[in-house]
Amino acid sequence: MSDAVAPFEMPPQTGRKQELVVKAPPKALEREPLVTHQRSIGWLSDAIAGVAEGKTPKWWWMAFVPSVTLMTTCFTMILYLMSIGVGVWGPGHPVMWGWAIVNFVWWIGIGHAGTLISAILFLLRQRWRTSINRAAEAMTIFAVMCAGIFPLIHVGRIWFGWWLFPIPNMEGIWPQFRSPLMWDVFAVSTYFTVSVLFWYMGLIPDLAVMRDRSKTFIRKFAYGLFSLGWTGSNRHWSNYEKAYLILAGLSTPLVLSVHSIVSMDFSVSQLPGWHTTIFPPYFVAGAVFSGFGMVLTLLVPLRRLLRLEDIITVRHVELMCKVTLATGSIVGYAYAMEFFIAWYSGNPYERYAFINRATGHYWWAYWTMISCNVLVPQFFWFKKVRTNMIFVFVLSILVNIGMWFERFVIVVISLHREFLPSNWSYFRPTWVDILTYLGTFGLFFTFFLLFLRFVPIIAIAEVKGVTPQADPHHPLGGAKEGGHH
Amino acid sequence: MSSPTDDLHSEPLDLSRWRPLPLVLMAVGGLVAAFGAIHDYRQFSYSWLLAFMFFLSLGLGGLIMVILHHLFDAAWSVPTRRFCEHLACLLPWMAVLFIPIALNVAFAHGDNNLYPWIKMIKAGQSDHSLASKQPLFTIPSFFVVALLNFGVWTVLSRGLRYWSLKQDETGAAECTVKMRRYSAAGVVLFALTLTLAAIMWMKSLQHEWFSTMYGVYYFAASIWTTIFTIYVITTILKRQGPLRQVATKKTFYFIGSLMFAFTVFYAYITFFQYFIIWNANVPEETFFYVAREAGGWWWASMLIIFGHFFLPFLFLLRIDVKLTWAMLPLAGWAWLMHFIDMSFNIMPVLHPKGYHLDPSDLGCMAFIGGVLAWLFLKNFNAHPPFPQKDPRIAEAMDVYVPPDSYAQALEPKSGGGH
Repeated sequence: MSDAVAPFEMPPQTGRKQELVVKAPPKALEREPLVTHQRSIGWLSDAIAGVAEGKTPKWWWMAFVPSVTLMTTCFTMILYLMSIGVGVWGPGHPVMWGWAIVNFVWWIGIGHAGTLISAILFLLRQRWRTSINRAAEAMTIFAVMCAGIFPLIHVGRIWFGWWLFPIPNMEGIWPQFRSPLMWDVFAVSTYFTVSVLFWYMGLIPDLAVMRDRSKTFIRKFAYGLFSLGWTGSNRHWSNYEKAYLILAGLSTPLVLSVHSIVSMDFSVSQLPGWHTTIFPPYFVAGAVFSGFGMVLTLLVPLRRLLRLEDIITVRHVELMCKVTLATGSIVGYAYAMEFFIAWYSGNPYERYAFINRATGHYWWAYWTMISCNVLVPQFFWFKKVRTNMIFVFVLSILVNIGMWFERFVIVVISLHREFLPSNWSYFRPTWVDILTYLGTFGLFFTFFLLFLRFVPIIAIAEVKGVTPQADPHHPLGGAKEGGHH
Repeated sequence: MSSPTDDLHSEPLDLSRWRPLPLVLMAVGGLVAAFGAIHDYRQFSYSWLLAFMFFLSLGLGGLIMVILHHLFDAAWSVPTRRFCEHLACLLPWMAVLFIPIALNVAFAHGDNNLYPWIKMIKAGQSDHSLASKQPLFTIPSFFVVALLNFGVWTVLSRGLRYWSLKQDETGAAECTVKMRRYSAAGVVLFALTLTLAAIMWMKSLQHEWFSTMYGVYYFAASIWTTIFTIYVITTILKRQGPLRQVATKKTFYFIGSLMFAFTVFYAYITFFQYFIIWNANVPEETFFYVAREAGGWWWASMLIIFGHFFLPFLFLLRIDVKLTWAMLPLAGWAWLMHFIDMSFNIMPVLHPKGYHLDPSDLGCMAFIGGVLAWLFLKNFNAHPPFPQKDPRIAEAMDVYVPPDSYAQALEPKSGGGH
C-alpha cells in the first residue's frame, strides 16, 4: 500500500516544513462501494434490464390486480361525484377544503423526492443517487398525477376546469391571478412537465439498451421508437450530458417552488394556524421528508423482490434514512416555532388554534402527526435501525401516515374552528371521500407496477459509472495496469 | 487570468506589514467606540449590538460548517475545517464581548436602554405584547438565555476542536466518531440557541413583532457571510503555503457553489417572510416593514434586494467564475451587504427616518473585528493548519490511496504462481 506524500509548510510564524502522509481511512470509516460484490458491467445490465424482461412474476400480478381494482374504484367515485355533485363529499361550512386538499398536498409532497434526487443530488455531485433516481422520478410523476385529480374535481363543475388556464375566450372570463390556488395550477403543471421531460431524457440511453436486448419485433420497435435512434456515440453522450445538466438546473428551482407555492395556499391568508412565515421552507422540508418516506416504502421491499441488493445497497437505504431524519427534524423545528410564536405573538386566536390542535377534538390527529413526523425519524440516528430493512420499512410507512396527518391538521383543524364560534363544526369524511383517496393508491400502484415491467427501474448507464471498475484510480478500474493516475 | 485555485508555485505574499492590523483595529476602533460611548451612549449601544450580531454570524457560521461537515461525512471541506473550528472557538469570546450589552440590560436608565421592553420593565410598565411573553421577557430570563447560548456554543466549539486536534496526534477513528456525536447533539442545540439569540437579541428590539421565520433568516444570513469569509481565508492560506497542497480546485468550487446556494436561500427566506406578511396585511406584523420602507430605509431595502441577492446571484451563476480572483472583491461586498442587512434589522429602532452611518458603528466594528481577528490568528498559529490525519483527507486532496480492504484483496497469495 502506498501513502501519498505532499510537503506542506506550517504557518509563516513557525517557519517549519512538515511532511504530510496521507493514508487510507481506518477500516471503520471506509466508504462502502455503491455497487457491492464487485459486480461486472454485464451483470448490471442483465440484473436491471432483466426486471422488465422475461416472465411476469406472480407477485407482480398479485399486486397489479388489486391496484387496478382500486384505480377503477377511484374513477367510479369520480364519476359518482360528477353525476351527483360535491355534496357527496364531507366538506361543508367551514371545512370547505376537506379531504380533497389534504390528499392533494400529501400526494404533491410525495412527488418531491424524485426530482430532488434527480436534480438537486445531481448538482450536488451525490453519486449514490444513480441507484434510486429512476424509480423515484417515476414515483414523482405518478404521485403528481394522483395529486392533480383532487383540486380538479374539487372545483365542483369539472367540465369548466379549463377556466383555470388563461385562455382567451368570448365571455372574457379570466383566472384570478391574485389567488394562490391559481399559482398552484402553473407551479404544478410546470413541475409535472419538466419532471416528465427529465425522466424521459434520462431514460433514452437505457431504452436503447432495452431495444438492443429485445427479442421480439414489437419490443424492438417500441423501445426503438422511444430511444430516438440512440447509438451511444460520443456526440450523443456529449449532447445528453449537457441537456441533463440544463434540465437539472431548471428542475431545481421548480422542486423548491412547487411546495413553497402550495404553502402559500395557506400562509398568505389570515387564518390562525395558516398564516405563518415559516410555511414555505417548512412545506418543502416536509415534502422531501414524505417523498423519501415513500421512496423507502417502495424500494426496501423491491430491492429484495427484484434481487437488486447489490445495486440498491444498505448504504443507499442508510443515506435515504439520513435525509429523512434531517428533513423530519427540520419539520420538527417548524412545528416548535409555530407553537412558540403563537404563544410569543400574544394573539389569542393564534394561541387558541395551536392549543386546540393539541387538546381539541382532533387531538389524536395532532399527536399522530408529532409522533410520526418528529419522533419516528429520530430512530434513524441509530445505525442498527438504518441497516435493519424491516425497521426501515415500518418507519417509512409511519412517515407517510404522519405526513398525511400533518396536512389533515393544517387543513381540517384550522378550518373547523375559525373566528366565529357560530361557524364551528366537526368534519367527517364520507365513504366517497375515503374510497376516492384509497382509489388514488390504485392509480399510483398500477402505473408504478407497469413502470417496473416495461422500463429499467435503475438508470443502467449511470449506475455503471459509479462502480469501482469505472474509477480509473481503483484497483479494479480500467487504468490500473500501466495507468499513472 | 490567474486563479487562486491552481496557484501552486507563486511565492507567498509578504504580509508582514499587515500583521499588526488586528492590534491597530483594536486600538483605533476601541478609541472611537469609547469616545462614542461617552458622547452618545444610546448610539454606542446600538452600534455595539450591530457589530456584535455581525461577528456572531461568523462564529455561528463556523460552528455549523464544522457540524455539517461531520454529519454529512463530507470530504471536500476537510482543508477548511480547522480554521472553521477556530472561527467557532471565537464564540466563547463573544461572551466577553456581550458584556456591554449585558451591562446595558442590567444598569441603563430611560432611553439609554437598548431594548424598549427592558425600559418598560424598569419603569414598571407593561403592554399586552410584553405581558403575554412572560416569563421569557424578564431581565433574569434574558441572562439565562445568554448563559445557555454561550454555554452550549462553548461546549460544542471546544469539544469539536479538542477531538479534531486529538486526531492530528492519533489518527484514530474514535475521534471522528466523537466529533460526529458532538455534531448530532450539536445540530439540535445549535438550532435552539441560534433561534433564541436572534429573537432575544435582535427581534426583541421591537418586541411586538413576530415571525416564525426569523431564526431561519438569521441563520441564512450568517451562513452566507461565513461562506464568503471561508473562501477568502482558503485563498490566502493556499497562496501563503499552509493549504497549498490540500486545498484543490474542488475545494474552491464547492465553496463557490455553497455561496450560490445560500445567496438563493437567503433571498428565498427573506422574500417569503416579506411576501406572506405583505399579502396578509395584518397590522401587528406589517409595522415592521412599514418602518423599513420609510424615509432612507427604502434605499437600504433596495440595496439588500439588488446587492444582497441579484448581484451575487448573477455573478455566481457561471461555473468558472467560482475559481477566479474576482471572488475576493465579491466577498468584501458580501461583508458590506451583511452589515447593511444587520443595520436594516437593528437601526430603524434608533434612526426611524433613514439609514445613518455613525462613527460609533465603524468604531465598534473595528474593535470587535480586531479582537476576533487577533484571537483567530493566535489560535491558527498555535495549531496545525488543517486536520492532517482526517480519514477523508486523501479524498479531499483527490489523492488516491487504496483502502486496506482492497489492497489486501489484490495482494497475491503466498505460494501462488500468479
